[in-house]
Amino acid sequence: MSSRSANAGYDRHITIFSPEGRLFQVEYAFKAISNAGLTSVGVRGKDSAVIATQKKVPDKLIDASTVTHVFRITPFIGCVMTGLDADGRNQVTRARQEAAEFKYKYGYDITPDMLAKRMANINQVYTQKAFMRPLGVSMVIIGWDEERGPQLYKTDPAGYFAGYRATAAGAKHQEAFNYLEKKLKGEGPASVEDTVELAIATLSSVLSANFKAQDLEIAVVTKENPQFRILSTDDIDAELMRIAEKD
Amino acid sequence: MDRYSFSLTTFAPNGKLLQIEHALAAVGNGSTSVGIKAANGVVIATEKKTGSSLIDISSLEHMAMICDSIGMVYSGMGPDFRVLVSSARKMAQAYYKTYMEDPPVRILVKELASIMQEFTQSGGVRPFGVSLLLAGVDERGPNLYQVDPSGSYFPWKAAAIGKNMVNSKTFLEKRYNSDMELEDAVHTSILTLKEGIEGQMTEDSIDIGIISIATGVQETDTKPVFKRLTSAEIKDYLSNIA
Repeated sequence: MSSRSANAGYDRHITIFSPEGRLFQVEYAFKAISNAGLTSVGVRGKDSAVIATQKKVPDKLIDASTVTHVFRITPFIGCVMTGLDADGRNQVTRARQEAAEFKYKYGYDITPDMLAKRMANINQVYTQKAFMRPLGVSMVIIGWDEERGPQLYKTDPAGYFAGYRATAAGAKHQEAFNYLEKKLKGEGPASVEDTVELAIATLSSVLSANFKAQDLEIAVVTKENPQFRILSTDDIDAELMRIAEKD
Repeated sequence: MDRYSFSLTTFAPNGKLLQIEHALAAVGNGSTSVGIKAANGVVIATEKKTGSSLIDISSLEHMAMICDSIGMVYSGMGPDFRVLVSSARKMAQAYYKTYMEDPPVRILVKELASIMQEFTQSGGVRPFGVSLLLAGVDERGPNLYQVDPSGSYFPWKAAAIGKNMVNSKTFLEKRYNSDMELEDAVHTSILTLKEGIEGQMTEDSIDIGIISIATGVQETDTKPVFKRLTSAEIKDYLSNIA
Protein backbone atom coordinates (compact mmCIF):
# COMPACT_ATOMS: atom_id res chain seq x y z
CA MET A 1 0.00 0.00 0.00
CA SER A 2 3.00 2.27 -0.31
CA SER A 3 2.19 3.36 -3.91
CA ARG A 4 2.61 7.06 -4.53
CA SER A 5 0.02 8.66 -6.74
CA ALA A 6 0.39 11.51 -9.20
CA ASN A 7 -0.51 13.82 -6.30
CA ALA A 8 2.68 12.98 -4.43
CA GLY A 9 3.91 16.00 -2.52
CA TYR A 10 0.83 18.14 -3.22
CA ASP A 11 -0.72 17.17 0.09
CA ARG A 12 1.55 19.79 1.61
CA HIS A 13 0.54 22.53 -0.83
CA ILE A 14 -3.24 22.35 -0.99
CA THR A 15 -5.85 20.91 1.30
CA ILE A 16 -5.99 17.31 0.15
CA PHE A 17 -5.49 14.35 2.47
CA SER A 18 -2.08 12.98 3.40
CA PRO A 19 -1.72 9.17 3.58
CA GLU A 20 -2.43 9.25 7.32
CA GLY A 21 -5.63 11.17 6.75
CA ARG A 22 -4.27 14.56 7.82
CA LEU A 23 -4.60 17.96 6.19
CA PHE A 24 -1.15 19.49 6.25
CA GLN A 25 -2.27 22.92 5.06
CA VAL A 26 -4.61 23.17 8.02
CA GLU A 27 -1.86 22.09 10.40
CA TYR A 28 0.52 24.65 8.89
CA ALA A 29 -2.15 27.32 9.34
CA PHE A 30 -2.14 26.52 13.07
CA LYS A 31 1.65 26.97 13.07
CA ALA A 32 1.22 30.38 11.46
CA ILE A 33 -0.95 31.42 14.40
CA SER A 34 1.78 30.47 16.89
CA ASN A 35 4.48 32.13 14.80
CA ALA A 36 2.75 35.49 15.05
CA GLY A 37 4.04 35.55 18.62
CA LEU A 38 1.01 36.89 20.51
CA THR A 39 -1.27 35.11 22.95
CA SER A 40 -4.91 35.89 23.71
CA VAL A 41 -7.31 34.57 26.32
CA GLY A 42 -11.05 34.59 26.87
CA VAL A 43 -12.94 33.92 30.12
CA ARG A 44 -16.65 33.53 30.72
CA GLY A 45 -17.88 34.36 34.22
CA LYS A 46 -21.33 34.20 35.70
CA ASP A 47 -22.44 37.61 34.46
CA SER A 48 -19.69 38.61 32.10
CA ALA A 49 -17.31 37.53 29.37
CA VAL A 50 -13.84 38.98 28.88
CA ILE A 51 -11.18 38.81 26.15
CA ALA A 52 -7.62 39.98 26.68
CA THR A 53 -4.55 40.03 24.47
CA GLN A 54 -1.03 41.39 24.41
CA LYS A 55 -0.41 44.70 22.71
CA LYS A 56 3.03 44.67 21.18
CA VAL A 57 3.91 47.72 19.10
CA PRO A 58 6.81 46.54 16.90
CA ASP A 59 8.34 49.98 16.28
CA LYS A 60 8.41 53.21 18.30
CA LEU A 61 7.47 55.20 15.21
CA ILE A 62 4.17 53.35 14.85
CA ASP A 63 1.08 55.14 16.12
CA ALA A 64 0.12 52.83 18.97
CA SER A 65 -3.54 53.78 18.82
CA THR A 66 -3.85 52.13 15.43
CA VAL A 67 -2.44 48.80 16.56
CA THR A 68 -5.30 46.58 17.65
CA HIS A 69 -6.43 42.95 17.52
CA VAL A 70 -9.77 43.51 19.21
CA PHE A 71 -12.75 44.25 16.98
CA ARG A 72 -16.44 44.94 17.43
CA ILE A 73 -18.67 42.90 15.12
CA THR A 74 -22.14 43.94 16.32
CA PRO A 75 -23.13 46.16 19.24
CA PHE A 76 -23.28 43.03 21.43
CA ILE A 77 -20.59 40.82 19.89
CA GLY A 78 -16.86 41.35 19.53
CA CYS A 79 -13.73 39.31 19.00
CA VAL A 80 -9.98 39.12 19.40
CA MET A 81 -8.02 37.89 16.36
CA THR A 82 -4.81 35.94 16.89
CA GLY A 83 -2.45 35.07 14.06
CA LEU A 84 -1.79 36.73 10.71
CA ASP A 85 -3.06 40.30 10.95
CA ALA A 86 -4.25 40.60 7.38
CA ASP A 87 -6.14 37.30 7.51
CA GLY A 88 -7.65 38.49 10.78
CA ARG A 89 -8.96 41.70 9.23
CA ASN A 90 -10.40 39.66 6.34
CA GLN A 91 -12.33 37.47 8.77
CA VAL A 92 -13.57 40.41 10.82
CA THR A 93 -14.87 42.14 7.70
CA ARG A 94 -16.63 38.93 6.69
CA ALA A 95 -18.06 38.45 10.18
CA ARG A 96 -19.46 41.97 10.10
CA GLN A 97 -21.04 41.31 6.71
CA GLU A 98 -22.57 38.04 7.90
CA ALA A 99 -23.98 39.70 11.02
CA ALA A 100 -25.43 42.59 9.03
CA GLU A 101 -27.03 40.26 6.45
CA PHE A 102 -28.52 38.19 9.23
CA LYS A 103 -30.08 41.27 10.82
CA TYR A 104 -31.45 42.38 7.47
CA LYS A 105 -32.88 38.97 6.58
CA TYR A 106 -34.36 37.93 9.91
CA GLY A 107 -34.99 41.20 11.73
CA TYR A 108 -33.08 40.41 14.91
CA ASP A 109 -29.42 40.45 15.98
CA ILE A 110 -27.34 37.37 15.29
CA THR A 111 -26.35 35.51 18.48
CA PRO A 112 -22.70 34.74 19.34
CA ASP A 113 -23.14 31.00 18.82
CA MET A 114 -24.72 31.41 15.38
CA LEU A 115 -22.00 33.82 14.29
CA ALA A 116 -19.31 31.43 15.53
CA LYS A 117 -20.94 28.55 13.64
CA ARG A 118 -21.20 30.61 10.45
CA MET A 119 -17.52 31.64 10.61
CA ALA A 120 -16.51 28.05 11.36
CA ASN A 121 -18.51 26.82 8.37
CA ILE A 122 -16.73 29.34 6.15
CA ASN A 123 -13.39 28.08 7.50
CA GLN A 124 -14.44 24.52 6.68
CA VAL A 125 -14.92 25.44 3.03
CA TYR A 126 -11.28 26.56 2.83
CA THR A 127 -10.21 23.16 4.15
CA GLN A 128 -12.12 21.31 1.48
CA LYS A 129 -11.80 23.41 -1.65
CA ALA A 130 -8.41 23.88 -3.21
CA PHE A 131 -8.94 27.38 -4.57
CA MET A 132 -8.43 29.18 -1.25
CA ARG A 133 -6.02 28.39 1.56
CA PRO A 134 -7.18 28.19 5.18
CA LEU A 135 -6.80 31.52 7.06
CA GLY A 136 -3.99 31.72 9.58
CA VAL A 137 -6.12 33.08 12.41
CA SER A 138 -8.07 31.94 15.41
CA MET A 139 -11.13 34.03 16.31
CA VAL A 140 -12.22 34.24 19.95
CA ILE A 141 -15.74 35.67 20.13
CA ILE A 142 -17.53 37.10 23.16
CA GLY A 143 -21.03 38.40 23.21
CA TRP A 144 -24.16 38.91 25.22
CA ASP A 145 -27.02 36.56 24.39
CA GLU A 146 -30.42 37.85 25.56
CA GLU A 147 -31.55 34.37 26.54
CA ARG A 148 -28.33 32.74 27.65
CA GLY A 149 -26.23 35.54 29.08
CA PRO A 150 -22.47 35.85 28.50
CA GLN A 151 -21.07 33.68 25.69
CA LEU A 152 -17.51 32.74 24.70
CA TYR A 153 -16.67 30.88 21.47
CA LYS A 154 -13.53 30.10 19.53
CA THR A 155 -13.13 29.18 15.85
CA ASP A 156 -9.95 27.89 14.21
CA PRO A 157 -8.53 27.19 10.72
CA ALA A 158 -9.80 23.60 10.80
CA GLY A 159 -13.40 24.77 10.79
CA TYR A 160 -13.83 23.54 14.37
CA PHE A 161 -15.71 25.66 16.89
CA ALA A 162 -16.95 25.23 20.42
CA GLY A 163 -18.31 27.19 23.36
CA TYR A 164 -15.92 27.61 26.28
CA ARG A 165 -15.83 28.57 29.93
CA ALA A 166 -12.33 29.83 29.17
CA THR A 167 -10.04 29.56 26.19
CA ALA A 168 -6.78 30.76 24.69
CA ALA A 169 -5.19 31.19 21.28
CA GLY A 170 -1.73 31.98 19.96
CA ALA A 171 1.87 31.23 20.80
CA LYS A 172 1.36 30.20 24.44
CA HIS A 173 -2.17 28.84 24.18
CA GLN A 174 -1.30 25.41 25.58
CA GLU A 175 0.27 26.90 28.71
CA ALA A 176 -2.72 29.20 29.08
CA PHE A 177 -5.13 26.26 28.76
CA ASN A 178 -3.26 24.36 31.48
CA TYR A 179 -3.34 27.41 33.75
CA LEU A 180 -7.05 28.00 33.16
CA GLU A 181 -7.99 24.35 33.60
CA LYS A 182 -6.41 24.40 37.04
CA LYS A 183 -8.05 27.67 38.04
CA LEU A 184 -11.49 26.64 36.81
CA LYS A 185 -11.69 23.22 38.43
CA GLY A 186 -14.55 24.41 40.58
CA GLU A 187 -16.98 27.24 40.07
CA GLY A 188 -15.93 29.96 37.67
CA PRO A 189 -15.42 33.61 38.56
CA ALA A 190 -18.60 35.29 39.77
CA SER A 191 -18.00 39.00 39.56
CA VAL A 192 -16.93 41.02 36.54
CA GLU A 193 -13.75 42.09 38.36
CA ASP A 194 -12.81 38.48 39.07
CA THR A 195 -13.35 37.51 35.45
CA VAL A 196 -11.15 40.33 34.20
CA GLU A 197 -8.58 39.48 36.86
CA LEU A 198 -8.43 35.84 35.78
CA ALA A 199 -7.86 36.85 32.16
CA ILE A 200 -5.03 39.21 33.09
CA ALA A 201 -3.53 36.74 35.56
CA THR A 202 -3.49 34.02 32.89
CA LEU A 203 -1.56 36.20 30.47
CA SER A 204 0.83 37.36 33.20
CA SER A 205 1.51 33.82 34.26
CA VAL A 206 2.16 32.22 30.87
CA LEU A 207 4.11 35.19 29.51
CA SER A 208 5.99 35.76 32.78
CA ALA A 209 5.34 39.45 32.50
CA ASN A 210 4.15 42.27 34.68
CA PHE A 211 1.91 44.26 32.42
CA LYS A 212 1.53 47.99 32.13
CA ALA A 213 -1.78 49.30 30.83
CA GLN A 214 -0.38 49.98 27.36
CA ASP A 215 0.79 46.37 26.96
CA LEU A 216 -2.74 44.95 27.08
CA GLU A 217 -5.98 45.08 25.17
CA ILE A 218 -9.13 44.07 27.04
CA ALA A 219 -12.80 43.98 26.05
CA VAL A 220 -15.87 42.93 28.03
CA VAL A 221 -19.58 42.25 27.90
CA THR A 222 -21.44 42.26 31.22
CA LYS A 223 -24.96 41.85 32.51
CA GLU A 224 -25.05 45.49 33.60
CA ASN A 225 -23.61 46.66 30.34
CA PRO A 226 -24.26 44.02 27.67
CA GLN A 227 -22.79 46.09 24.86
CA PHE A 228 -19.35 45.01 23.65
CA ARG A 229 -16.97 47.48 25.25
CA ILE A 230 -13.24 47.88 24.62
CA LEU A 231 -11.52 49.17 27.75
CA SER A 232 -9.50 52.36 27.47
CA THR A 233 -5.91 52.53 28.72
CA ASP A 234 -7.19 54.31 31.83
CA ASP A 235 -9.75 51.57 32.49
CA ILE A 236 -7.05 48.93 32.14
CA ASP A 237 -4.81 50.92 34.46
CA ALA A 238 -7.57 50.99 37.07
CA GLU A 239 -7.99 47.21 36.84
CA LEU A 240 -4.24 46.60 37.19
CA MET A 241 -4.10 48.92 40.20
CA ARG A 242 -7.00 47.13 41.79
CA ILE A 243 -5.28 43.77 41.32
CA ALA A 244 -1.99 45.12 42.69
CA GLU A 245 -3.69 46.59 45.74
CA LYS A 246 -5.43 43.33 46.45
CA ASP A 247 -2.14 41.64 47.17
CA MET B 1 -14.18 31.56 -7.91
CA ASP B 2 -13.47 27.84 -8.36
CA ARG B 3 -10.42 28.00 -10.55
CA TYR B 4 -9.64 24.29 -10.38
CA SER B 5 -11.40 22.56 -13.24
CA PHE B 6 -9.65 19.25 -12.73
CA SER B 7 -10.24 16.57 -10.14
CA LEU B 8 -7.78 16.23 -7.25
CA THR B 9 -8.80 12.62 -6.71
CA THR B 10 -7.26 10.62 -9.52
CA PHE B 11 -6.38 6.96 -10.15
CA ALA B 12 -3.00 5.65 -9.07
CA PRO B 13 -1.27 3.14 -11.37
CA ASN B 14 -2.59 0.27 -9.23
CA GLY B 15 -6.17 1.41 -9.74
CA LYS B 16 -6.70 2.88 -6.31
CA LEU B 17 -8.17 6.30 -5.52
CA LEU B 18 -5.70 7.28 -2.85
CA GLN B 19 -7.50 10.43 -1.65
CA ILE B 20 -10.45 8.24 -0.69
CA GLU B 21 -8.19 5.83 1.16
CA HIS B 22 -6.62 8.76 3.00
CA ALA B 23 -10.09 10.09 3.84
CA LEU B 24 -10.84 6.70 5.39
CA ALA B 25 -7.65 7.07 7.43
CA ALA B 26 -9.01 10.39 8.71
CA VAL B 27 -12.19 8.55 9.73
CA GLY B 28 -10.06 5.97 11.51
CA ASN B 29 -8.48 8.75 13.56
CA GLY B 30 -11.87 9.85 14.84
CA SER B 31 -13.81 8.76 17.94
CA THR B 32 -15.70 5.49 17.66
CA SER B 33 -19.41 5.46 16.85
CA VAL B 34 -21.73 2.46 16.92
CA GLY B 35 -25.24 1.67 15.79
CA ILE B 36 -27.60 -1.23 16.43
CA LYS B 37 -30.87 -2.06 14.70
CA ALA B 38 -33.30 -3.64 17.15
CA ALA B 39 -36.61 -5.32 16.43
CA ASN B 40 -38.53 -2.24 17.55
CA GLY B 41 -36.13 0.62 16.85
CA VAL B 42 -32.57 1.81 16.23
CA VAL B 43 -29.88 3.23 18.50
CA ILE B 44 -26.75 5.18 17.52
CA ALA B 45 -24.08 6.24 19.97
CA THR B 46 -20.71 7.97 19.93
CA GLU B 47 -17.89 8.93 22.23
CA LYS B 48 -17.70 12.67 22.86
CA LYS B 49 -14.05 13.45 23.16
CA THR B 50 -13.25 16.92 24.46
CA GLY B 51 -9.65 17.98 24.45
CA SER B 52 -10.08 20.12 27.54
CA SER B 53 -12.30 20.47 30.58
CA LEU B 54 -12.76 24.11 29.61
CA ILE B 55 -14.97 23.26 26.65
CA ASP B 56 -18.67 23.83 27.24
CA ILE B 57 -19.92 20.34 26.29
CA SER B 58 -23.46 21.54 25.69
CA SER B 59 -22.18 23.56 22.72
CA LEU B 60 -20.97 20.46 20.85
CA GLU B 61 -23.35 18.73 18.43
CA HIS B 62 -22.13 15.21 17.69
CA MET B 63 -25.52 13.74 17.08
CA ALA B 64 -27.89 15.46 14.71
CA MET B 65 -31.57 15.07 13.97
CA ILE B 66 -32.12 15.32 10.24
CA CYS B 67 -35.90 15.16 10.34
CA ASP B 68 -38.35 13.68 12.83
CA SER B 69 -37.75 10.12 11.74
CA ILE B 70 -34.01 10.18 10.98
CA GLY B 71 -30.91 10.84 13.10
CA MET B 72 -27.23 10.88 12.20
CA VAL B 73 -23.86 10.44 13.91
CA TYR B 74 -20.31 10.41 12.54
CA SER B 75 -16.69 9.44 13.00
CA GLY B 76 -13.97 11.65 11.58
CA MET B 77 -13.76 15.39 10.98
CA GLY B 78 -16.34 17.45 12.84
CA PRO B 79 -16.41 20.42 10.47
CA ASP B 80 -17.10 18.14 7.48
CA PHE B 81 -19.96 16.55 9.44
CA ARG B 82 -21.62 19.94 9.92
CA VAL B 83 -21.71 20.48 6.18
CA LEU B 84 -23.37 17.09 5.62
CA VAL B 85 -25.90 17.71 8.39
CA SER B 86 -26.96 20.93 6.67
CA SER B 87 -27.24 19.17 3.31
CA ALA B 88 -29.19 16.26 4.77
CA ARG B 89 -31.63 18.58 6.53
CA LYS B 90 -32.23 20.56 3.36
CA MET B 91 -32.76 17.36 1.38
CA ALA B 92 -35.26 16.08 3.91
CA GLN B 93 -37.23 19.33 3.73
CA ALA B 94 -37.17 19.31 -0.07
CA TYR B 95 -38.57 15.78 -0.02
CA TYR B 96 -41.26 16.83 2.44
CA LYS B 97 -42.19 19.77 0.25
CA THR B 98 -42.89 17.42 -2.66
CA TYR B 99 -44.39 14.41 -0.89
CA MET B 100 -45.73 15.80 2.43
CA GLU B 101 -43.87 13.00 4.22
CA ASP B 102 -40.45 12.46 5.76
CA PRO B 103 -38.12 10.69 3.32
CA PRO B 104 -37.60 6.95 3.74
CA VAL B 105 -34.13 6.38 5.18
CA ARG B 106 -32.74 4.69 2.08
CA ILE B 107 -33.77 7.63 -0.12
CA LEU B 108 -31.99 10.15 2.12
CA VAL B 109 -28.97 7.88 2.31
CA LYS B 110 -28.78 7.66 -1.49
CA GLU B 111 -28.88 11.43 -1.89
CA LEU B 112 -26.26 12.03 0.81
CA ALA B 113 -24.02 9.34 -0.65
CA SER B 114 -24.38 10.98 -4.04
CA ILE B 115 -23.12 14.29 -2.63
CA MET B 116 -20.17 12.57 -1.01
CA GLN B 117 -19.33 10.86 -4.30
CA GLU B 118 -19.40 14.20 -6.11
CA PHE B 119 -16.64 15.44 -3.85
CA THR B 120 -14.47 12.54 -4.98
CA GLN B 121 -14.80 13.52 -8.60
CA SER B 122 -15.49 17.26 -8.91
CA GLY B 123 -12.76 19.82 -9.61
CA GLY B 124 -10.76 21.38 -6.84
CA VAL B 125 -12.25 19.61 -3.83
CA ARG B 126 -11.24 16.83 -1.47
CA PRO B 127 -13.46 13.98 -0.24
CA PHE B 128 -15.29 14.38 3.08
CA GLY B 129 -13.29 13.06 6.02
CA VAL B 130 -16.27 11.41 7.74
CA SER B 131 -18.20 8.17 7.78
CA LEU B 132 -21.85 8.53 8.77
CA LEU B 133 -24.27 6.28 10.59
CA LEU B 134 -27.90 7.08 9.87
CA ALA B 135 -30.70 5.67 12.00
CA GLY B 136 -34.34 5.98 11.09
CA VAL B 137 -37.75 4.43 10.94
CA ASP B 138 -39.89 4.36 7.82
CA GLU B 139 -42.62 2.15 6.37
CA ARG B 140 -40.12 -0.70 6.07
CA GLY B 141 -39.38 -0.54 9.79
CA PRO B 142 -36.13 0.31 11.57
CA ASN B 143 -33.08 1.14 9.39
CA LEU B 144 -29.37 1.58 10.04
CA TYR B 145 -27.08 2.75 7.24
CA GLN B 146 -23.40 3.59 6.99
CA VAL B 147 -22.12 6.06 4.37
CA ASP B 148 -18.41 6.30 3.59
CA PRO B 149 -16.25 9.12 2.14
CA SER B 150 -16.31 7.31 -1.22
CA GLY B 151 -20.08 7.59 -1.39
CA SER B 152 -20.61 3.86 -0.83
CA TYR B 153 -23.40 3.02 1.56
CA PHE B 154 -24.24 -0.14 3.47
CA PRO B 155 -27.32 -1.21 5.40
CA TRP B 156 -26.34 -2.84 8.68
CA LYS B 157 -27.90 -4.80 11.51
CA ALA B 158 -25.14 -3.49 13.77
CA ALA B 159 -22.23 -1.26 12.81
CA ALA B 160 -19.16 0.47 14.17
CA ILE B 161 -16.98 3.18 12.62
CA GLY B 162 -13.96 5.15 13.75
CA LYS B 163 -10.94 4.35 15.83
CA ASN B 164 -12.06 1.16 17.50
CA MET B 165 -14.25 -0.25 14.72
CA VAL B 166 -12.54 -3.61 14.31
CA ASN B 167 -12.82 -4.62 17.96
CA SER B 168 -16.27 -3.10 18.24
CA LYS B 169 -17.56 -5.05 15.27
CA THR B 170 -16.24 -8.31 16.75
CA PHE B 171 -17.90 -7.41 20.05
CA LEU B 172 -21.20 -6.66 18.28
CA GLU B 173 -21.13 -9.86 16.20
CA LYS B 174 -21.07 -11.88 19.40
CA ARG B 175 -23.88 -10.01 21.09
CA TYR B 176 -26.27 -9.23 18.25
CA ASN B 177 -29.48 -11.14 17.69
CA SER B 178 -32.36 -10.08 15.48
CA ASP B 179 -35.05 -10.11 18.16
CA MET B 180 -33.14 -7.67 20.33
CA GLU B 181 -35.34 -5.01 21.91
CA LEU B 182 -34.38 -1.32 21.80
CA GLU B 183 -33.57 -1.23 25.52
CA ASP B 184 -31.12 -4.11 25.15
CA ALA B 185 -29.66 -2.50 22.07
CA VAL B 186 -28.94 0.72 23.99
CA HIS B 187 -27.32 -1.32 26.74
CA THR B 188 -25.20 -3.24 24.24
CA SER B 189 -24.12 -0.11 22.40
CA ILE B 190 -22.92 1.41 25.68
CA LEU B 191 -20.94 -1.74 26.45
CA THR B 192 -19.43 -1.67 22.96
CA LEU B 193 -18.29 1.92 23.35
CA LYS B 194 -16.96 1.17 26.81
CA GLU B 195 -14.52 -1.38 25.35
CA GLY B 196 -12.77 1.33 23.42
CA ILE B 197 -12.95 4.26 25.84
CA GLU B 198 -9.85 5.08 27.82
CA GLY B 199 -10.60 6.25 31.31
CA GLN B 200 -13.98 6.78 32.87
CA MET B 201 -17.22 6.70 30.93
CA THR B 202 -19.65 9.31 32.21
CA GLU B 203 -23.00 10.61 31.03
CA ASP B 204 -21.19 13.58 29.53
CA SER B 205 -18.61 11.61 27.55
CA ILE B 206 -21.05 9.73 25.30
CA ASP B 207 -23.96 10.77 23.13
CA ILE B 208 -26.85 8.37 22.44
CA GLY B 209 -29.77 8.78 20.06
CA ILE B 210 -32.72 6.46 19.65
CA ILE B 211 -35.78 6.08 17.50
CA SER B 212 -38.42 3.47 18.12
CA ILE B 213 -41.11 2.23 15.76
CA ALA B 214 -44.60 3.42 16.39
CA THR B 215 -46.13 1.24 19.02
CA GLY B 216 -48.90 3.52 20.10
CA VAL B 217 -52.39 2.39 20.87
CA GLN B 218 -53.66 5.92 20.57
CA GLU B 219 -53.74 8.04 17.42
CA THR B 220 -51.15 10.42 18.81
CA ASP B 221 -48.53 7.74 19.42
CA THR B 222 -48.05 6.77 15.82
CA LYS B 223 -45.22 9.00 14.69
CA PRO B 224 -41.71 7.82 15.54
CA VAL B 225 -39.39 10.67 16.52
CA PHE B 226 -35.60 10.58 16.77
CA LYS B 227 -34.41 11.82 20.12
CA ARG B 228 -31.12 12.31 21.87
CA LEU B 229 -30.98 10.88 25.37
CA THR B 230 -30.48 13.44 28.12
CA SER B 231 -27.54 13.25 30.52
CA ALA B 232 -29.88 11.99 33.22
CA GLU B 233 -31.20 9.18 31.03
CA ILE B 234 -27.68 8.11 30.05
CA LYS B 235 -26.68 8.16 33.71
CA ASP B 236 -29.49 5.69 34.43
CA TYR B 237 -28.25 3.32 31.76
CA LEU B 238 -24.68 3.60 33.02
CA SER B 239 -25.71 2.75 36.55
CA ASN B 240 -27.15 -0.53 35.30
CA ILE B 241 -23.78 -1.62 34.01
CA ALA B 242 -21.54 -3.55 36.36
